[in-house]
Amino acid sequence: MVTKALTTIITIIVGVGAALIVYWILNKLAELLPERLEDRIKPYLYILPAFLGIVVYLVYPAVLTVINSFRGPISQNWVGFANFTTLFKSHDFQQTLINTLLWIIIVPAVTIVIGLTVATLSDRLRPGAEKLTKTIIFLPMAISLIGAATIWRFVYDAEPAGQNQIGLLNAVGQLFNKGPVDWLSTDNFHLNSLLLMVILLWSQVGFSMVLLSAAVKGVPVDTLEAARIDGANERQIFFRVIVPQIRGTIVTVFITVTITVMKIFDVVYVNTNGGFNTNVLGNQFYNEISTNLNYGAASAIVVILMIAVAPLMWYQVRHFKSEEAA
Amino acid sequence: MAATTQPVPAPVEDTQAKVKRSPAHFDRNPAKAGWFTKITLAVICVLWMIPLLGTFLTSFRSLDDVQSSGWWTLFTKPSSIARLTLSNYDKAITGGADMGRDFFNSLAIALPATFIPILIAAFAAYAFTFMEFWGRDVLFLTIVSMLVVPNYVAFVPILKLYRTLGMNGTFAAVWLAHIGFGMSLAIYILRNYMATLPKTVIESAKIDGASHYQTFFKLVLPMSVPALASFAIFQFLWVWNDLLVALVFIGPGDNEPVTVGLTHLKTQLGQGWELTTAGGFVTMILPLVVFLALQRFFVRGLTAGAVKG
Amino acid sequence: MRVGTLPGRKVLVTVAAAALASTGLAACGSGSGGGNSNTVTIWSSIDQPVQDGLKKKLVSELKADNSKITIKWQKVENINQLIITKIQAGDTPDIALVPQPGVVSQMKSLGAVKPLDGVVSKDELSSYLPGAADFSKFDGKTYGLIVSMNIKGLVFYNKPWFTQKGYTAPTDMAGLVTLADKIKSDGTAPWCFGIESDTATGWPATDWIENILAKQSGADVYKDWVTHKVKFDSDDVKKAFDTFDQLLLTDGNTYGGSKAIVSTNFANTGNPMFQSPPKCGLWEQGSFAPSFLPKSVLANQDQNIGVFGLPPESAGGDNPVELGGDSMTMLNDTANVKKVVKLLAATEIGEDAAGSSSFISPHKDFDASKYPNELTRDMVKVATGATTTVFDASDQMPAAVGSGSFWKQVTAWIAGQTTEDKMLKAIDDSWPAS
Repeated sequence: MVTKALTTIITIIVGVGAALIVYWILNKLAELLPERLEDRIKPYLYILPAFLGIVVYLVYPAVLTVINSFRGPISQNWVGFANFTTLFKSHDFQQTLINTLLWIIIVPAVTIVIGLTVATLSDRLRPGAEKLTKTIIFLPMAISLIGAATIWRFVYDAEPAGQNQIGLLNAVGQLFNKGPVDWLSTDNFHLNSLLLMVILLWSQVGFSMVLLSAAVKGVPVDTLEAARIDGANERQIFFRVIVPQIRGTIVTVFITVTITVMKIFDVVYVNTNGGFNTNVLGNQFYNEISTNLNYGAASAIVVILMIAVAPLMWYQVRHFKSEEAA
Repeated sequence: MAATTQPVPAPVEDTQAKVKRSPAHFDRNPAKAGWFTKITLAVICVLWMIPLLGTFLTSFRSLDDVQSSGWWTLFTKPSSIARLTLSNYDKAITGGADMGRDFFNSLAIALPATFIPILIAAFAAYAFTFMEFWGRDVLFLTIVSMLVVPNYVAFVPILKLYRTLGMNGTFAAVWLAHIGFGMSLAIYILRNYMATLPKTVIESAKIDGASHYQTFFKLVLPMSVPALASFAIFQFLWVWNDLLVALVFIGPGDNEPVTVGLTHLKTQLGQGWELTTAGGFVTMILPLVVFLALQRFFVRGLTAGAVKG
Repeated sequence: MRVGTLPGRKVLVTVAAAALASTGLAACGSGSGGGNSNTVTIWSSIDQPVQDGLKKKLVSELKADNSKITIKWQKVENINQLIITKIQAGDTPDIALVPQPGVVSQMKSLGAVKPLDGVVSKDELSSYLPGAADFSKFDGKTYGLIVSMNIKGLVFYNKPWFTQKGYTAPTDMAGLVTLADKIKSDGTAPWCFGIESDTATGWPATDWIENILAKQSGADVYKDWVTHKVKFDSDDVKKAFDTFDQLLLTDGNTYGGSKAIVSTNFANTGNPMFQSPPKCGLWEQGSFAPSFLPKSVLANQDQNIGVFGLPPESAGGDNPVELGGDSMTMLNDTANVKKVVKLLAATEIGEDAAGSSSFISPHKDFDASKYPNELTRDMVKVATGATTTVFDASDQMPAAVGSGSFWKQVTAWIAGQTTEDKMLKAIDDSWPAS
């Protein structure tokens, strides 16, 4: 065990050290250049490692994916737009798109609302209480997916009527003599999809809370005090002083969460695997690539996602422009 | 549970006294928590805790008990408390793989895979925020749109690449994978944070003759600590809890992390979840420690303080 | 500038290379296995105790043979997915134990598996249960051989209760219906039935239908159904669904009613049989199912649990039995690997595993005294009494159907969200084109 601990430490030092050395060298290298050239080359040197990583691990596979979306299940023959037409013709896939849209409309907005609520309200508590509140909201993020799946099993579980209910919701129902409801197979008003969203919200609000909290802390106190002296109430301060100043972070969190939700699969996969009309694009992708081993269809789904993200990028550009103008 | 209800009476004098003692008097939000604040937060906290608490208690119950009654039976029928057992934890830790070894592997994977991408992303984010260069917006948007690409599509091409380099199964293979997969988000979050930093400060540093390298390390990095800390928490968490990337690029064996080790406990038909849940609680300790340790960086006025220094 | 950059770049490259090499080295130093030619790597997803038992026997056979081969046997999560990814990347084990013949066929179309004919002797092949050596036979060649199996279509019951009520195991399908009706008229729901299984919800129902089809229409129709020569929307398959409907979905036939079927976890399904009085009488499942029962029941399983096989259509007639299990595939054909394959195909390989795990041998000449209890021997008798064996159909169909639409559509049908005709058409429609 001691040797294992030692090799672990050495491994970590070597890995981290190598990364630091690369930048030190890159900088030395740039400084050897004449000043005018140095200024022009430096930005590229700074983004080079990051860009290399993204090109190798994401851009290159993404290009292959676009190509594969026009090929057959194991990418051996060309099929034209067949993968896309098969998808869009399927009734199930249309449902999947509708469900995904539902997730996109609901989850990012609610994540921001809860995250912002906790971030601003807990800011007023004493430091100890604030820390505790944030830790509790953060806790679910720390647990692995398998753990989270089990946790919610004990909330939504339904046993046959007459047995002890071991799911929390149905146990509460049992107290009031309501028969067990099989929550996850009930798709009236997309109830089951909404219940799955609750799981994602529960586990991911911590993300928006942490980022928004950091932003709220960054709002200069003097602006708050100035507003108070002007007689603004807390609601006005929140909407007119705090929100405008952290707008950038809100946009960042909103776009990040929206993109996460666009490709969400694990929550759906482990609970219903898309059954009972809960399927979403990400889960369909995961099934195509890992169960059905149909790389063509899986790639087509990714291409659809890439196209769907365009409006968000457009919004991001506009946000940049307004940022720069300000 | 009791703690979550925040019964903090919050004597006003006390709070202010504390603030006065603290030298950093920026760390003061003039607003105080009223009943609305406290109740709202208490409700949210309770809602957040119930599922977790239930499962935590469940992890100490025998499988037969779990399947025949809910965890709240512990409160309604205290007799069942006597049947609580540590056996799930015992089996999770000793039953499957060598958990001690796996724990060190997880550390060897997660620490560099957290630190390196943050360093790389911070440099890139700095360039995107404070440097003018041709193609800046296009490059940035390319990076951000890659957020939507599921990393699953990269597995086969990257495995092939690693094979030619003889890297499959090494720690460096997973580090680089996590660096690549996490880079888009890291740059996105850091650049958007850096954009909120006061540009005047950076410009005056430039006029004082500071190089970009100096500005980055002495000014921008310290001012970005809250964002860096947030991202460090998330990246550590994701890498620590990652199963898929580890499974594909390291696989089971001597270099496997805890997440892969825990899967050995499950049977083909999905039995054994009670052990993975217990194991899950054990493995969540470290991310929590990281969260608590880095939380002290989310303090009001830290950025302002750095500007002065 | 020229003076400056050149050496600089060289330094950069050298240092970067050194850094990369050292990280690689550090990783290797901490134990990444350097492959040497005497190591044979095996991957499987089978349960750890089974794997341990098989490995123990394998290693001792190799030792007895003075062989230098070392075995590196690794349990991997969900091998069906991992193996295809790894094949495409060219990074594979020597032998993989795969639970789905459908995946073996995919591995074959990727050119990754070698035929086992000639490696495993005719004698060994003929020691398999009838039909069991042919599950992964494609184009006349054997690409996979089952190493560890489970028996499907077994009906478990509460033995003391069953005997006390004077019930007997049926000998034909009509007898099964009569038995169920009798249990119902005595005031107990005849069937325990639950199909919830996380991502795989529905499979216990498709197992049921497969068994009924095999018994009613015979092994040949069954095999044509697997390759879609017989459609879901055909008389044979419809008849199987009708029988299923009548047996299990008739009001009062299932504990909790058909509403509870989709939400009851398959593994907990049998527990109400052992409440007092029993809430349901019979539980159809695979040979792995007894291990899911409460500890108090398992403490004395030979006394508590009884089992019979789903009966043939007519007593004493054609009786196909459905099996599942993990098939070994050979991805490299070096002499060492072939040697290990030969040992894994031998009847004796299971002798250690049988006593210490849920292992059941697919060989008809396996020494039954090696099994730990009467219950296992009773289950094995169902398999050895088969006129032929068939493999779990959903594991052989293309995954889009066998692990997709078949499960999902049947689940929706049981939940009352679709009709039988719509379900059958939808499954047929989901069959991949090529």
